[in-house]
Amino acid sequence: MGVEHSMKLQEYKAKSILKDAGIPLPVSTLATNAVQVKRIAAEIGYPVVLKAQTLEPGRGRAGGVRIVQNEYEIENISNQIFKLVLNQHPIQFILVEKAFTFSKEYYFAVISDLDAGCPVLRLSEAGGATYLEPESFKNARCVDQPVDINVGLKDFQIRRLITQLGIDPSLWKQLQLIAHRTYDVYRQYDATLVEINSLVVTQQNQLFALDTRISVDGQSLFRQERLYDSFDPSYFGWDERQALKYDVDYHSFPGEIGCIVNGMGLAYLTIDQLIGLNMMPAAMIDIHGGATSTSIASSLEMLLSNARVKVIIINIFGGMTRCDEAADGLLQALGGGFPKKPIFIRLEGTNDDSGLDLLHKNENLTFFGTTDALVNAAVSWLRGEEQ
Amino acid sequence: MSILIGAESRIMIQGITGRRGHFHALQMLKAGNQIVGGTSPGKGGDWCHESRLPIFDTVRDCVDATNADVSVIFVPPHSTADAILEAIDSGVRTIISITGSIPLQDMMIVKSALKNSDSLLVGPNSPGVLVPGIANAGIFPNDIAIQGNVGVISRSGTLCYEIVDTLKHASIGVSTAIGIGDDPIIGIDYLTCLEFFEADPHTDQIVLIGGPGGDSEMRAASFIMENVTKPVIAYIVGESLSTSVLRPFFSRSGSLSLDTLGKKTGALRDSGVRIAGKLSDIPVMIKR
Repeated sequence: MGVEHSMKLQEYKAKSILKDAGIPLPVSTLATNAVQVKRIAAEIGYPVVLKAQTLEPGRGRAGGVRIVQNEYEIENISNQIFKLVLNQHPIQFILVEKAFTFSKEYYFAVISDLDAGCPVLRLSEAGGATYLEPESFKNARCVDQPVDINVGLKDFQIRRLITQLGIDPSLWKQLQLIAHRTYDVYRQYDATLVEINSLVVTQQNQLFALDTRISVDGQSLFRQERLYDSFDPSYFGWDERQALKYDVDYHSFPGEIGCIVNGMGLAYLTIDQLIGLNMMPAAMIDIHGGATSTSIASSLEMLLSNARVKVIIINIFGGMTRCDEAADGLLQALGGGFPKKPIFIRLEGTNDDSGLDLLHKNENLTFFGTTDALVNAAVSWLRGEEQ
Repeated sequence: MSILIGAESRIMIQGITGRRGHFHALQMLKAGNQIVGGTSPGKGGDWCHESRLPIFDTVRDCVDATNADVSVIFVPPHSTADAILEAIDSGVRTIISITGSIPLQDMMIVKSALKNSDSLLVGPNSPGVLVPGIANAGIFPNDIAIQGNVGVISRSGTLCYEIVDTLKHASIGVSTAIGIGDDPIIGIDYLTCLEFFEADPHTDQIVLIGGPGGDSEMRAASFIMENVTKPVIAYIVGESLSTSVLRPFFSRSGSLSLDTLGKKTGALRDSGVRIAGKLSDIPVMIKR
């Protein structure tokens, strides 16, 4: 429910895509150690900006973006950046970039309007960090232009944005080109967002894309093979990696109750019920509609082998998910034996009779008819155990 | 009797020979619908063995031969947009996409095409449309609901089952239940369904099930204020997260948008909608 499968690309990757598309960007090169940083900076020429490459928020606050004026301080600053750890993710790469002076900055992006179901071009006077500050953003002019994806982006639409903001005619041609190329990247890479923030005007009256961000649609990755190497598997924990392998969603929490559900709606319903009883889940695994017995078996195995999980809730209301297949998967994971942990099951919907018949073969499982009864029983058991 | 589909609907299935399409064609037949056939490119001219339904290569062939006016889509996500566009082009009035997780820009292409057509799209990622005892166009488990005068709209499929089942156990019947789908971009939204239910003589009250992400429930709230006279009961799942210590765990995963958490119930309540604290509270709130 409300799931947005959008994946942010690393800054250096986004920049190389936009550079290849012909968008003017500052010269930059990726480095993996301080010696490389120094060599690259010497080639580019000082001052340079060192940017820690991470997908975690708070890079700037943590000291991951630093302007370096000369070669005397560069190794020291690089080493400081390489020592940073943001949300348990160590910094492995620094992007070394030519530092720029500019006279004015804008925000430009192609975003996705999910309600209207179309791409939207956005141009704002509030470029740079201003775009993120609600107060200054409110006072700045910001204009949107929806695009019919079946017609494509047209020149007049870009002109409308430019003239609404009163941008100097000497910049029109450059901006037209940047807008078209940004939109092309959005289309070609199945992006959900291509953002240039900020788009700056240099003293030579040239437009440059100083900072950029690209997020791509996770549902389109099957046709974006060139992006496969952009996703770092070490970014996920073991459980999340297992979950990816079996095509289920895995959410980890600090509690002791492991849950398997078929759909985010049921996941939230189960969580509402748990929170209502002042309890927390340990894990919430969403097997999605139409899950196979294998993915259900692997989900149960993940919960059985997770030491933090004391009790397991299985809440399945099958539409496309067939209860007989779900039951088959559960039995695969359990064998015929006594489960290592108590398992409370609610199995209803498509083929529930044959599913329940199968499960009744294992006498160590407990069944419930509603989400309320299921969650109440698991919570009572856990409380009894704690006393 | 119902909205979107009814006893007279002639339902076809796109992807009728696939594992899921075939299974649910049989389920739908059991529910007593008029299922008239389906498509499976390359197998046109053949018949499904178990269901005895005719197979066509294209939607146009199927529509020409059977007068199908509802299509239920079971093809894989990468070809779903093509299937929807084919149904639009062949003049199918109500298109229901069970398949979800459609590439975002594919859905943008579909949305643009829908604007220039008379077709309505339910979904993607929808459980379908259920008119208890009359028609089941989708994957609703059979015998999950009884006939009645409550209209049900839900984004989540499983919660749509959950609510009609809960109502059934309280002997409350449903006029039509619609799962509008839970993909980021969908066809008809709460507003269209509310408008239809308001006009439907067989619907006396409406149950709306929402959840985290997007702001479609907020728009439903203002629409109800302006246009809906029938009583509406709403349940927004996941609202407990707004004050819970668990909230950061969802935000961190980055896949769930919780921006509007806590605001939706407020907006709906301000529009005169009665809010259920729990889904299982809804039966006692229904006017008998």
